[in-house]
Parts: sequence; C-alpha cells; structure tokens
Amino acid sequence: MTYRLIMDQITHRFEDGGVQRTILNNLSLKVAEGELVAVLGPSGSGKSTFLSIAGALLAPTSGNVLLDGESITGENAGELSSIRLHQIGFIFQSANLIPYLKAEEQLMFVAKQSGIHSSLAAKRARALLEKLGMSHRRGAYPEKLSGGERQRIAIARALMNDPAVLLADEPTASLDAARGMDVVQLLASEAKELGKSAVMVTHDERVLPLCDRVLHLDNGCLIEK
Amino acid sequence: MYLAIREMRFAKVRYALIATIMLLIAFLVLFVTGLAKGLAYDNAASIENMSASHFVMEKEASHRFTRSLLEESVLSQTGKAIGEENVQSLSVRMTTVTNAGAEFKLDVTLIAVKPEGWLMPSVSEGHAITSQSIGEVLVDSKMKESGIGIGSIIVDQGSGLEWTVSGFVSDESFSHSPVIFLNESDWRQLQLKMNALKGADGAASDRSISAIALRADKEQVEQLAAAMSQTEIVTKSQAIAAIPGYKEEQGSLTMMILFLYIISVFVLAVFFYVITIQKSHQFGVLKAIGTRTGYLVKSVSLQMLLLSVSSLMISVLLVRAIEMMLPSGMPFQLHVSTLLMTCGAFIVISLVGALLSVYKISRIDALDAIGRTTA
Repeated sequence: MTYRLIMDQITHRFEDGGVQRTILNNLSLKVAEGELVAVLGPSGSGKSTFLSIAGALLAPTSGNVLLDGESITGENAGELSSIRLHQIGFIFQSANLIPYLKAEEQLMFVAKQSGIHSSLAAKRARALLEKLGMSHRRGAYPEKLSGGERQRIAIARALMNDPAVLLADEPTASLDAARGMDVVQLLASEAKELGKSAVMVTHDERVLPLCDRVLHLDNGCLIEK
Repeated sequence: MYLAIREMRFAKVRYALIATIMLLIAFLVLFVTGLAKGLAYDNAASIENMSASHFVMEKEASHRFTRSLLEESVLSQTGKAIGEENVQSLSVRMTTVTNAGAEFKLDVTLIAVKPEGWLMPSVSEGHAITSQSIGEVLVDSKMKESGIGIGSIIVDQGSGLEWTVSGFVSDESFSHSPVIFLNESDWRQLQLKMNALKGADGAASDRSISAIALRADKEQVEQLAAAMSQTEIVTKSQAIAAIPGYKEEQGSLTMMILFLYIISVFVLAVFFYVITIQKSHQFGVLKAIGTRTGYLVKSVSLQMLLLSVSSLMISVLLVRAIEMMLPSGMPFQLHVSTLLMTCGAFIVISLVGALLSVYKISRIDALDAIGRTTA
C-alpha cells in the first residue's frame, strides 16, 4: 500500500509565558492512497497545529512529514510555498474562496500559479466543474454561491493541481447537515477515485460514517477509539 | 497579474474612487507646477534666456542687478582674464514709461546690452537696433497690448528721454515687467540725464553698468573671483533668485507642490494599507494554497501602478485642455520635460505609498487561514 502522507514522530512545543507547552507529542500517522481519515478532538487539542504541520504551513519542533515519500523538513519558505501549491490541496472552513474571482477563475488561478499551460488548465477546470456538478455556476462570484456550492468549488480548487494530499479544515462547519454530508461524500469519493490521501479535521460526528478511519487527538497523540 | 486585474474589475467603485482622488491630486500638482514654471518664466525670462553662466556684480548689491553698479574698467579687466568674447556688459534699471501722448503709464525694465553681443535677443518683429542707432529701442511684445507699435514713441518718466520703438522681442520680462532693450550709448545718455537731475555735476560717472555677464567654467570663475575684490561673481540661478519677488513666489508654490506630493503619499498609503488589512485573511488563504509573497507584492504594486498611470494620463489630458482654454496672458508653462519629471515623481511616490502594504503583506502568516471561520 502507498502512503502519500506520512507524519513521523511529530512533536511540537512552544513557549507560553515561560512555560513549555507540548501541543503534539510524538504523533505518527500514515494515510494511504484513496483513504479519508477524520481527526476529531475538542478545541484546544491541537487540531489546527496538526493540520498546519501536515500542510507544510508550520515546521514542527521535531519529526518528519513525508509527502509521496519525500521529506519536507528543512525546506525554505519559497520551496514550502511550491510544495503547498503542487502537492497539497487545502479545503478551509467556509470555503475561503477569493471573493473577486469567478468560480472557474478560482481554479484557473491555482493552475496559473503552478505554471500549467492555460489551455490545458481550462480543460481541467471545466472537467472538474463538470464532475462536481458545478458547470452551470462557473461564471458566478463566490458571493452568489450557496455554502454547499462554495465548498464544492473549494474542493475543485484543491484538486486542480492534482495534489498528493487533501487537507480539510472543518469543511462542514458552515453547512447544514444535508449539505455537510454531500460535501464529505464528495471528498471521500474524490480521494478514492483519484487516489489521494485525505485528512479531515472535524467536529461534526454526523459525517464520520463516510470516513475510512476516525482518529481522536488526545494529549498530543492520535488514538483510534 | 491575474489577481490584480480581476480584483480591480470586481471592486470597480472602490478603485474608481481612489483613481479619482489620485487624478485630482495629479491634476493639481501638474497645474500648480505649470503655474510655478510660468510665473518663474514670466518673472525672469530675460535673465533665464541669457546664455551667460555667471554675472559679475557689485559686492554690496546682494545679487541684485538693479542695485549693482560697476566701473566699465571691470569689463575690460574680466575680458582680459577669460577672453573678450566671453564677457558682455549688462545694465538693468526699473522705471515707468508713458507713450507720447501720456495716455497710460507702464512699469518696465530697461536693459542695456551691446546690440551685436550675445545677450541681445533676436527680433521677432520690426528691425534690430545697432550700437550706432540713437534713441531706438526694442520692446517686449506684451507691450503691444498697451497700444505700442513699431514707430511708437516711449517717454521715460524719470529722465524725460524719448525712444522710438524699432522692433519687438518676445518673452522678455524682468520681475514681471516687460523689458525695453537699448544700446549702450542710449544707456549712457540716460545715466547722464539721471545724474544731472540728481544735482550731480553732470559729468559722466565711471560707474555706469550694472553687471557683467560671463560665459565661464567654474575654474575660471574661481580665478576671477580671487583676482577681484570689489566685485562678486554670482551664478545665473542666484541672480534669478534675487530678482524682486522671485524667491517668495516660487517658495510658496514649491511648498504647495511639495505638500501635494506628501498628501498623495499618505492618501495612497492609507488607502492601500486599509485594503490590505481588510484582506489579510484572504492573503493568508492565498499563501496557504501556495501563492508566493512575491506574487502578492507584485500584484499590489501593479494595482498601484495601474491606478497612478491611468490617473496621470487623464490628468495630463485635462491639464493640456485647460492650458488651451487659459487666457494668453496667464503665466502657465508646462514643457514636456517638466511634465515627464512630474509624472515620474508621481509614479515613484505611488510606489512609496505601496511600501507599507507590501510590508504588511510580507508579515501575513499563511497560518491565519487555518482554524478561522471568517470568510
């Protein structure tokens, strides 16, 4: 089995008013190709830190993150930017689309950033929108889209550069139950079909049945319950 | 550039507002600059147009032509030092003249130079005067508005001397008054008359010229200055600045222009800074999905550049249009070189205004994007 995302003995500490606080303690995780892993935990348990480290946004105090088998430790800011662009697809809370880009342009922008030829990018964007059932909304600004539609566009944006890993930060937080289920369903099926390793941080217990594995972040470690 | 242009397309009103403010400021800067240049030229055109680099003046004259009196021997002395062809005598006197019928009075400046020398401007209408001509003068074409034509008689109020206008010269003024050019013998005539009126013995004073115009380099000037103790050598710009009213006029206009630049820096900086702060979460998201800081910085700078260049283009057109509508007597002068300099300064200033935002963008952390619900 191929693990596209491997987190190996990650420890993260920071100083808070002279006190060393350990947020993540020797955390290890392997996410296989096509697998969607849900990570649960109360607020303050370090979910955001966990996701930031997995997403090459934050360097851990110690430990290694491997994307497609390659370590990202010690890369400089520019290289990390490029890793995020090419190998990681982010899906944020409340979508976080760029307000002044139309749905299709959201996808074209990330493709442009990664230097994909524009005719190829346009083809890819159209295919993705088609697949996620958003073709008819391709010329709409985010403010004109519903919450569920926005999250679909966000998933399409995350998939645009064909990353190794999909990271979702509470993607259902601003959606009602039915829409939330739809979005996670879509995330799971895309991960499976395209062979991505997907991790979702969530509070929403209703969507857990759609995930392959459910982990709890507890005392800086991930445990299966 | 993808982002910059689409954002401006999306937030048209916001960017149109700031473009309008920039347009108005740029217009004002250009207009006041044109006015300052126009006034400066109107004030000092005659000296400005002289191809001299320096002027020799009396030490106590504090750089003013009208106060300075030199002995004619100084002319030959400097001529020997830097070459006869590089020195010219120059005499300046401000006075009031009337026409033959005394229908009106005009404040004018009399300038006496050697008609064949290099200080004499070219004649735009009528015929030139020579060293031999007696009682013939060239006058600035602005005096036409007072009804003076070729052949008109001009009477100097102080001395009672009469001169005939033999031709016109254009753009000749000194301290905002039109200039009348006479030859050296008429000037001497005038000096004699004035001395006689003052009750002096009527004998020719040997201190008869105001200044000596030089064409010299710095080294020659230094040598000359060391050799002569009674005189002072001033540069052309010093001499211009000492023309009555010149410094005050230019000073206040320059201050206005300077403040306009400062105001525009602040307006632009604040506008872009506020927008940047407003968008900082968005910048965080962009960084999180792999957009480089350099790209975002370029994007903001490009927006600033687009705004300033487009507002400048419109304001240049506006200023040119206004310039055509201005009455001909209005001192306004905006040469292409001044225009380009002003536009260049404005663009540089707008980029300076973007610096604060650029700094802010560079400080925004991609981590902002994680764990926040705000859109």
